[in-house]
Order: sequence, then structure tokens, then C-alpha cells
Amino acid sequence: MCHSKYFEIIIFRLQVIEGSDNPLQEVVSVKGQKKDAEENIIEIKDLRKIYKVGNETVVALNNINITIKKGEICCFLGTSGSGKSTLLNMMAGLEKPTKGTIKIAGWDVEKLSEKKLALFRQNHIGFIFQSYNLMTFSNALENVAMPLIFKGMGRKKRNKAAKEMLKAVGLEDRINHRPSEMSGGQQQRVGIARAFVAKPEIVFADEPTGNLDSKTSKDVMDMIVEMATQYNQTLIIVTHDLSVSKYAHRVFHILDGDIDKIEVCS
Amino acid sequence: MKKFDLIRMALGNLWRRKVRTVLTILGVLIGTASITLMLSLGFGIDQSYRGSLERMGSLNVIQVYNYYGGGYYMEKSVSVRGSGGGGGGGDSETKKLNDATCEEIEAIPGVQAVLRMLDTSVKFGSGRYVAWGQLLGINPEAMEYFDFVVDKGRLLTENDTTAIVFGSDVPRNFYNPKDRRSNWWGYSQDTEPSVNVLKDRLIMTFDMSYGEPQHSPTEGKRPKRYHVEGVGLLSWEGSMNYSWYAIANIDYVKKIIKENERMQGNRRRNQETIYNQIKVRVEDLDEVVNVQNAIKDMGFQTYSLNDQMVEMQKTSRVIQAVLGGIGAISLLVAALGITNTMVMSIYERTKEIGIMKVLGCLLKDIKNMFLIESGLIGFIGGIVGGVFSIGASVLLNKFLAPALMGRMGYGVQVDKISIIPSWLLLAVVVFSTFVGLISGYSPARRAMKLTALTAIRTE
Repeated sequence: MCHSKYFEIIIFRLQVIEGSDNPLQEVVSVKGQKKDAEENIIEIKDLRKIYKVGNETVVALNNINITIKKGEICCFLGTSGSGKSTLLNMMAGLEKPTKGTIKIAGWDVEKLSEKKLALFRQNHIGFIFQSYNLMTFSNALENVAMPLIFKGMGRKKRNKAAKEMLKAVGLEDRINHRPSEMSGGQQQRVGIARAFVAKPEIVFADEPTGNLDSKTSKDVMDMIVEMATQYNQTLIIVTHDLSVSKYAHRVFHILDGDIDKIEVCS
Repeated sequence: MKKFDLIRMALGNLWRRKVRTVLTILGVLIGTASITLMLSLGFGIDQSYRGSLERMGSLNVIQVYNYYGGGYYMEKSVSVRGSGGGGGGGDSETKKLNDATCEEIEAIPGVQAVLRMLDTSVKFGSGRYVAWGQLLGINPEAMEYFDFVVDKGRLLTENDTTAIVFGSDVPRNFYNPKDRRSNWWGYSQDTEPSVNVLKDRLIMTFDMSYGEPQHSPTEGKRPKRYHVEGVGLLSWEGSMNYSWYAIANIDYVKKIIKENERMQGNRRRNQETIYNQIKVRVEDLDEVVNVQNAIKDMGFQTYSLNDQMVEMQKTSRVIQAVLGGIGAISLLVAALGITNTMVMSIYERTKEIGIMKVLGCLLKDIKNMFLIESGLIGFIGGIVGGVFSIGASVLLNKFLAPALMGRMGYGVQVDKISIIPSWLLLAVVVFSTFVGLISGYSPARRAMKLTALTAIRTE
């Protein structure tokens, strides 16, 4: 099952590369040569998170130990309340763990100050949300260029990069449209373009298809996986959707704050 | 993040909520305009005070008198001794207002010129007409510094002897003592003077009964008659303070006074001239007080219009403070408006701020973006308020000033009741921007401290 899906992706990818003169290709290949493919980009040790709600304590994550390699596509699969979103939030530095360490791309995420966290996110992380989280008053181009603005990139350069990104997700004719003028699938594709525009090493996707129908979900997932593969980026997907988990190399089943089992497909 | 991008984003955010932004700016406009206008009224009052004082004479001039009333002087010298511990505590001998003292005063830093004034009563005659007059001897080289403005003819020069410059009211004093209808007090402003002092032959004498039908008996010899020549006539407006004087070179006046004393049997030789009064002109208005104090320390009584000016300035400072305070209250209200707008804006943009944080926006950029927004509200409000106040000020001066003109009474000149100096406009814009930044500071910090997590969860 996993096999056939992956084969499909490879074919799709080849089509894309042949069909377009993608200038990013070069960068990718250079990067791929430099970096060791077997390098561990995410190391999570003894991670524990406890929430205090009134007098009760809720164990969101019990004891998580995960190592993820560069370029790997991983999926955290679980029901709502299993703790999978908490895990994602802690990896992105949005929440502090109660115990344990998270090391991502050489940064000790749990120890970072707010300022360092911002720099960490600027340089290493892309984010895809369930509810897209686009800037409602900005058009597609501005939304995609936003992470580059925060990095301090000049206007011409970032608009060029954003346009290329929008072209790659097939929205070159929607550049000046606002989120309210686009369908859910189109909005999510803007979200994908935004997540990948700064070429982060890791992209987090939190229920990326949660608001989409099955046909669009498939398109969107194909696109995310294809991009991550193309740039040799690590992709972490959090979902409760089994069909989404099939895109992953490894699937972590999360249950009540623990890793229930790990499924390896390849 | 680049500064340009920050400003562009801030402007975009303001533009997105046009109505609220405009209303908040309107509040700042009212605040800054009321401060500017209130202060401008204060400046207008100041200016009209100054204008009316300047018409009375130059503010740079200090009048110096001899001390007469010994009591006051004694009292003062005692107190000086008491506090000064004896060290140079007052001269035992009263200092006199003589030439030596004048030179001493001339040496005080900041003094531009000293006008020595020696006056005596004389009588003028021209043909059938005579006039009582006050002859004022002055040092001609100082004339240009002390409001001597000629209407006709010229001022005195150092080589003049019998030349006389007449004050504007003197020619009207001539009357015919043999004509009952003509009296020295009966002159009218409208009629032409009987004597043309610049052309007609003039005689000057210390003999007060000269030309009168009945000579009062005088002791000693009859005083000498001098032929004098009128060379100038002062303008009334320019030299109001000298309108009753006939002005001559001080050396000449000294000479004829001595001559007269000798003739009257007063044999004291080489008696020193002591002036009743001298005037001191100070080059810089700010130095007046210092020079005045220096002269007071020498033991003389002084008076200057600047004394009055200082009093008036104190009054107008109070008025300005009160008016400015009223204006400041409305700016304070405007500042609360800015804070309110920014807080509202943060509530609305919680999610947006969260997304920005997740996308890697630095905290300082978020804070700066909000500060720029509130600062811009203050800045724009300040500029629009400044423009508005200029317009209002022009209208006030055009329509309200003429109405007030008649009410302030004689001596208070009302040209403009509202004056806005350019530095005030600049200061108001800077201040309102500052107020905007202050008002936006706490909301900006609040936005900065929002956690990205709660921000993206907000739906």
C-alpha cells in the first residue's frame, strides 16, 4: 500500500520537474550534497508535558523518545486529545515541556528565549495549519512573502521568490487575490507556498487536510509531500486521518500521551 | 524586518480601519489644536504688552537717578553692613551722578551708550513771541541710541554749540504776551505754531520775565541773551519722551549755566556738574537686568520699562500656563483615545499577531509595529492639528482682533491676538508624536507578550 503510493509520488514529481524550469532545483541539489542524508535532525528525549487544570493534573505527553532523520516524512497519528498536537507545539517552541529535551537542527528548543525562538522559526521551520491562518487583509503574494519580510529580505527578492512558490502550487493566476476570494483548497495551497518559501529544513503540518474534502485533500497532500521530497526537507504531519498517514515513511501512533506503535513504510 | 516594511505594514493596518483611525486622529487634532491656539493667545497677549511698552520707549533703556531721600539710603547701607560683614559694605560717602560715574557706567559690559541729561528752565523769544521752555543738555554722540527721531531738520552733532533741536510740542508754546487772546496754555493742536523754530531768529535767556509786559525785579545783573539756531524738530511719535524739551549740546548748556551763575554772583569755581538723571542703553535686551543691578549696586535708583516688562511677562506666563493647561487636558483625552484604539486593535488582531509569531516575526518587530501605528496617529494628528490652528489663528486675527481693538484701552496695541511661532508648530508635532508613542507603549507590550499558541487557537 505504502509502496504504490510512493511510486505515484515519484512519477508526479518527475512530471513536475520536466514540465517546469524550476530554478530552485540547483539549490536543492547543492544542499543535498552538503548535508548528510542520515543526519538526525530531530531528537526528542524523555519528553513529558503535564497541564494543571484547576486542582487536577492532566498528562498530555507521558514519555516520548523520538529521533527523526533529515528528509524523513513522519506522521503523528492519533485521536483528538491523544497529545499529538501538544507534541507538535513543543517541537515548534510554542509550548515549554514539563520535562525532557527537544533538539532540532542543533537548537535546544525548550531552552530558547523568545527572541531565539523567532530566529529559530525564521530559519528552520515552516508551518501549515488546519485553518490555513492566512492574513485576511493581504493578498496571496503578500501572504507567501510574509516569512521573508520577517527575515528582512528586500522587496524585489522576496516577491520573486513568493511568485515562484505560488507558481509551484499552481496559483500564479491568484497572486492578487485575498484569502476570502479563494476556495479552501486554494487557501491551503497559499499556506503551503508560505511554509516552503523560506526553504526551511523542517515543515510542520497540523491537520493540513482537516478542513478539506477528500479530493482536495489528496491534491494538497500530494503537493506537500512532493515539495518536501524535492527539497529534501523533513516533514512532520499531525493528523487523525488514516489516508494522510499513508504518505509518511514512518507513522507514530499516539495514544494517551505515549507512542503506541511505530509503523514503517517504504 | 526592514524599517520600511514595518512602516508599510503599520500604515496598512491603520488604513484597514479607516473610520477608527480618522476618529482617533480627530481627537489628537482637537488636542493639539487647542494647545497650539491657547498658547498662541498667550503669545499674542505677550506681544501686545511688549508693543505697547515699546511705544512708551525703548525696553533697552535704563533711567538712573540720584538718590535723594537719605532715609532709605541709610537704611539700606545699614542692612548691607549687617549682612555683608563689613567687607566693602556700602560707601560712607554717597556716590554722585557726575561725569566720572557716567564713565564708570559706560564701562559696564553690555552698555551701549550713556545719555547725560542736564536740564534747566529757559525762556525763548522770537520777535513778538515768547515761550517758556526746558533746556536739556545732552551728549550729541549718544543721541542716535535714545529715541531721538527728527521730523524736520537734523540731530545735533558734537561740534554744535548754539544749535537746538526742539521737541515736537515746543513750537506751540510761543505766545504773544501783549495779545490777550494768546496764552501759553491756550494753544491748540490744530493751529499752526506762531513761530517757525527752524527758520525764525531765536533768542534764549535765563531771564524768566523776558518779553513780559511787567518785569519782575531780579537780583544782580540781568541774565545774558543768547542767539540760538533751531536745527531740528523731533517727531512726536518717535520721541514722545522729549516732546517738551529744547535739546542742546551739553557742553554749551554747562557753559551758559556757569556763565549765568557767575553773573548772579555765585563765585564757586570748577564746580562739578551733577546730573539729576542719566539714561543708559543696553545693547542686548537680556542684559538689561544685569546692567540695572550693577548700577543699583553703585547706589543709584534705576527704572526701566523692562521692570514693567518683567512684571507683565510674569502675568502672561500665568495666562499661558492656564490656557496651555486647558489645551493639555484635551490632548490627554486624545491620548486615552489612542490607547483605546490600540487596545481594541490588539484584541482584533490577536490571531494575526500569533500567526506572525509562528512565522518567525521578532517580538521587537511586533512591538515596533504597534508603536509606529500609535506614533503615526499622534504624528498625523499633530500635523493636521497644526494646519488647523494656523487657519483658526488667521481667522481669529482677522475677525476677533479688530473687535477687541477698542476694548483694551489706550496704550495696548492689538494687532494680532493669536501668534503661532514656527517652533511652536514643530514642538506640537513632536509632542503629539511622543504622546502617541507613550499611549501606544503599553498596548504594544501587550501585543508582544501574547503567546503564539493562544493567538493561533483563537478562532
